Amino acid sequence: MPTRAPRRRRKLAPFAFVAPFLLLFLLTFALPIGYAVHQSVMDVEHTGALGLGGSRTVFVGLRNYTDALSDHAFVRSIGRVLLFAAVQVPVMVALSAGLALLLDSASARGVRFFRAAYFLPYGVPGVIASILWGFLYVPGVSPLVEGMRHLGISVDLLGGDTVLWSIANIVTWEFAGYNVLVLVAQLRTIPAELYEAARIDGAGAWATVRHVKLPLLRPALILTTVFTIIGTLQLFAEPLVLKPVSSSIDSAYTPNLSAYNEAFTNDNYHLAAAEAVLLALAAFVLSFGFLRLINKRGGDA
Amino acid sequence: MSRTTPRRRSRGALAVTLAVVSLAVSACGGSTGSKDPAVQAPVKPGQKVDLRFWSWVPGVDKAVDKWNATHPDIHVKLEKIPAGSSGGYAKMRAALKSGNAPDLAQVEYQEIPSFLLENGLVNLSPYGADKDKSKFVDWQWQQGVFDSEVYAIPQASGPMGLFYRADLFEKWGVAPPATWDEFARAAQKIHDADPKAYISTFPAGNSAWFTALAWQAGAKWFGVDGDTWSVNIDSPQTLKVAAFWDDLRTKKVIKTEPDFANGWYKDLQTGGITSWVSAQWGDAIISGNAPRTTGKWAVAPMPQWTKGANVSANWGGSSTAVLKGAKHIPEALKFAEWLNTDPASVDLLLQGGYGWPASADGYKGSSLDKPSPFFGGQKYNEVFAQADKSIDNSWKWIPTIDATYQHLNDGFQAALAGKGTFVSAVKQAQQQTVEDLKRKGLKVSTGK
Repeated sequence: MPTRAPRRRRKLAPFAFVAPFLLLFLLTFALPIGYAVHQSVMDVEHTGALGLGGSRTVFVGLRNYTDALSDHAFVRSIGRVLLFAAVQVPVMVALSAGLALLLDSASARGVRFFRAAYFLPYGVPGVIASILWGFLYVPGVSPLVEGMRHLGISVDLLGGDTVLWSIANIVTWEFAGYNVLVLVAQLRTIPAELYEAARIDGAGAWATVRHVKLPLLRPALILTTVFTIIGTLQLFAEPLVLKPVSSSIDSAYTPNLSAYNEAFTNDNYHLAAAEAVLLALAAFVLSFGFLRLINKRGGDA
Repeated sequence: MSRTTPRRRSRGALAVTLAVVSLAVSACGGSTGSKDPAVQAPVKPGQKVDLRFWSWVPGVDKAVDKWNATHPDIHVKLEKIPAGSSGGYAKMRAALKSGNAPDLAQVEYQEIPSFLLENGLVNLSPYGADKDKSKFVDWQWQQGVFDSEVYAIPQASGPMGLFYRADLFEKWGVAPPATWDEFARAAQKIHDADPKAYISTFPAGNSAWFTALAWQAGAKWFGVDGDTWSVNIDSPQTLKVAAFWDDLRTKKVIKTEPDFANGWYKDLQTGGITSWVSAQWGDAIISGNAPRTTGKWAVAPMPQWTKGANVSANWGGSSTAVLKGAKHIPEALKFAEWLNTDPASVDLLLQGGYGWPASADGYKGSSLDKPSPFFGGQKYNEVFAQADKSIDNSWKWIPTIDATYQHLNDGFQAALAGKGTFVSAVKQAQQQTVEDLKRKGLKVSTGK
């Protein structure tokens, strides 16, 4: 008997250590997701023209999902963020990597200043950044548009063909600096001996970048790519803020905006929950798909 | 907190998911009936009653102060919220679902049915609201009446007219258009006279405005017969209005920028836009945002579809409603009635620019009934007093009006982007609205 008690305690100990995390994980992650899924298979039924006969919540199965997927506006919004991601992700990653390599190169001067300058936009909340850029896009108010007009270039930065890329510009401005910081941190972990060895082998600056820095930067590049994919799919604040000044942003411009409008304007919380779950699934599939692809191609990441 | 997580742009999605979750938690409480008698906290003699009131109307704070000064037994605590469509209604619905709604709230006429559907309003008839009927303009009173029961006390409306730059119109030899045909010709003439100037914009993102124009043209979009809604958005009257603006748009003699936005305010200030078909409350928008154009504006009646006719419409309009869960309904009703009929209160609200009074004798002798320096010394509210009498008062709303506005907005915006026309947007909104109502489990007919 006396020998069994300590063993049981030893078995329980790990759980005691993990419990706080598990509890928080359940409360703030698993529970909300589970609840969103639950809401997405329910709907409200009303009795009488004005619902004065009362209302009740009923199980409707996958009806909200089929409704969401047969809504052209919602499906178009998914297509739109995919197109956005196809352009935004490579641009963002290439730009961030380029800036990080420049900052890391020994010859660069004022490294600390530039690192702070690149990172600064990330300190500006997305909503403020969108308002700020909004002023630079609106014709009649924007010095940018006015200046280009004087140069003979007339461009509507809020038009149907351009506004998505105007948003891309805001997003790049906001988050490139953050990605640069992640990449610079990774570059700093590369031991100096490797550079030395490369130099002894006769590698120039460009060869060092190609054969030493970029391969060792891989994990950080994959990380920033995944973040950018997820962030891009969840595009929300920028189109929401630009909506009042652009005729080309509709209520279902991005999947997130669509879910927001269904919930808070049209009072269709159950449909909104279904759209949110679909969006989460898309983000999951794409980010894990990307990781699978990378791992298959080049061993461990 | 967002800075510690690398998923920075997930804030939006997370917020939505969490809000959906937290709001829905209380929504699944099973069956609820609106005829349940509300639980009332008994008021002891001499006990002070506290009421919470959510509103965004400018000047309402002064009226509430006045009430509190004159009614020591019933204290109203005003909480300013964002305007309804800018988040105010979302806040109210969330509060209703979590059982923490204020006693009273600002609810626009078109939103009353949707709040009824969400079981959010208290039936005021059992508390004697019907006796106040005669104090209000009849059609505005009817906006809060369903199945002969009173659900909201009317506050203000928006009879429509034409604001125009008298100085510029005179310079270019353009008379204020009396008909829509003349409006189209004036649009051409103004744009020819100054390529930078336009008669007005078509605000594709503001269907409430378009709805008012359809209302004037004689459309009746919605009706209810028993428990069946009729939806008739794509009627010939509405299509006529849509085609009219399609024509001006393709001729490029109007602007298509959004209203109530930076570019539009700039155009009001600089003469880029020289007229605005708008509601009476538009006076405060123009004078507040283009103060340097004092004396240059004037007001004419709304252009007519038939020469010599005299038909106006209403844009906007608001009520004071008692929300489900209110603890002191008789006191709340008393305040709502005072707020919207007491001459001192109405005058304070008018000074704040709340719109056209729903109170039956709100106009005569009020601060509206005077010549205005901003409008060149014109007693411009006489135009709106006349318009108020020429509104088709049988207009009804549906519980899913926000979605309908959104369908129209999306369709109009698509038209501007070269996909479809305003006419096709109207036709599509008809189908989508029928779907919306069915999706809420309501019966619909497309009564042609």
